[in-house]
Amino acid sequence: MGMRVSNEQSDSAAESCVAILSKRFGGSDVISTVEHHSNAFKMAFVRIHCPPQHWPAVAKSLRFDHGANYCSMVTGTHYPEGNEDRGWEVVYHLMRQPVVDQKPFTNTVHVASELTGSDIPLEFEILVALPQGDEPSVPSVQSVWVGADWNEKETWDLVGIRFEGHENMHRVLNPHDSPEGFHPLQKQHKLRYHDYNEMYDDAQGFGRKPTDEGRVK
Amino acid sequence: MAQMWITMGPQHPMTHGLWTLRVKVDGETVVDTEAELGYIHRGVEKIAESRDFTQITPYCDRLCYVSAMTWANSYIYAAEDLLEVEVPERAEYIRLISAECQRLASHLMWLGAYGPDIGSLTLMTWCMRDREMFLDLLQELGGSRMHYNYPRIGGVKRDIPVGFANRLVAKVKLFEKRIEEYEMMLDESTIWLVRLQGVGYANAEDMVNAGVSGPNIRAAGVNYDARWAHPYSVYDQVDWEPAVEKPTSVKGADCYDRYRVRMEEMRQSCRMILDAIEKIPGGKNTNYSNGDEMILAKAPTRAPEGATGFSNYECTRGASKFYIQGGGDGRGKNPYRLSIRSPMFITIPYVAKTMIGYKVADIPAIMGSFDPCIGETDR
Repeated sequence: MGMRVSNEQSDSAAESCVAILSKRFGGSDVISTVEHHSNAFKMAFVRIHCPPQHWPAVAKSLRFDHGANYCSMVTGTHYPEGNEDRGWEVVYHLMRQPVVDQKPFTNTVHVASELTGSDIPLEFEILVALPQGDEPSVPSVQSVWVGADWNEKETWDLVGIRFEGHENMHRVLNPHDSPEGFHPLQKQHKLRYHDYNEMYDDAQGFGRKPTDEGRVK
Repeated sequence: MAQMWITMGPQHPMTHGLWTLRVKVDGETVVDTEAELGYIHRGVEKIAESRDFTQITPYCDRLCYVSAMTWANSYIYAAEDLLEVEVPERAEYIRLISAECQRLASHLMWLGAYGPDIGSLTLMTWCMRDREMFLDLLQELGGSRMHYNYPRIGGVKRDIPVGFANRLVAKVKLFEKRIEEYEMMLDESTIWLVRLQGVGYANAEDMVNAGVSGPNIRAAGVNYDARWAHPYSVYDQVDWEPAVEKPTSVKGADCYDRYRVRMEEMRQSCRMILDAIEKIPGGKNTNYSNGDEMILAKAPTRAPEGATGFSNYECTRGASKFYIQGGGDGRGKNPYRLSIRSPMFITIPYVAKTMIGYKVADIPAIMGSFDPCIGETDR
């Protein structure tokens, strides 16, 4: 029979995690809450709002005190019309994956319902808001998780968020000779030919010019 | 002898797609490596910002051309988190069956491509033969051999066709016997064992830290599977066990462990499918009309600003994740930002570094054992 981590388990893991985090970072602007997904089983996860200057301390605490050993994704977002304090945002998704040893010569594995405490798999979402400006930057956590390395490279490449202290930063998905400062997921770059009326008037596209002609090769 | 750089790819049988592995060699020994990606970057994340939530599913199909159903499902679970949709149970069963059929087809494609890497061309023909059975089944559901556009936000496009259940059971039972044939051929082949055993060690702790996921870490003894750890669908109701291999060396899992864990996963997928088709609510032969509330729930089309959706999905190659922010163009009809986490984008740079110290001839064996797919890597 199949198994799964129950809602009570993930609730209790998230709550104990938030309690420790609130105690540790209580005086600062680090706000941690227990949230629930709204699909499937409504599992709990930990959401942390963290100012960029506290991010390295929070990251180390998550890695070494809470067992978040897996950096699964880094997302950068550009809010050109947002308020002064939130022109950019970096979202980190971390996972806790218990590395549990299993008995030799068996293919059976530990039972989900018997997991307790810090062995329960848990998801962390950390939102780091950055102020408006042309040069958003956030401290790199490359040294905390090796897995953050290429995620951060990708975020810089596509969104243009600088990761302070990241070693060997280079283009990964865009061509290596892309113009400096060209980061396609910033909102000032519009998709070419995305205007439907234009599509109907000039279906073959002979009369059209890209909106960013001359600025992008 | 002087050290030198060799460029393997973008056109090279080892790469299984378009990317470049630059290898620094000292004689026959690999001293340093460098992975270069991005050859087929299509900008799906940017395109999605000007599409409706329903229009994004076909793009997600095309993220990985050997595992389209699981990628579309992964997006759908994130969109359901964003739009707060309750899915009917029959639709969840159909999704489970379709995703596991896709997992079988994808692992067969992997085994079929890995055989020629090692020198067994027969394996390719055998695997393609069996993969066709599952592509036929998926074609019955989605109407196409590779890109199905089958799952919908709130359910699935259409019900399982008449007679589908019988054909599914017959093919899966036949395939369960075929797995044994594969094992007879491979586990007793000296070439296969010599090329795979003791090659490409990867340690469990290192892999988790580096962000490797899926069968690759389960081969090293990490029992982590999103299907039970971050549950979705009805995996808690059907009969299965996560396939975890216990590596025989302290250095971690070698290529042979990764081959074994995928064979075991195929067995478990067969077991799941056979159990799910018996337990499916509404009966295995009932045919509901398109859009019936048993298979497709009503779903909103707009998401407000500030709403977010996230999915943990066990794709065939590891953890594929989507993160969606609502409140884009068209008063929330489009996502403001859609971010995709590809398991192979993280794994390929890691694998490139594990090759250091092995011989040049081991590169195809090590690379192939991690099952690279460049469609999802470059997005």
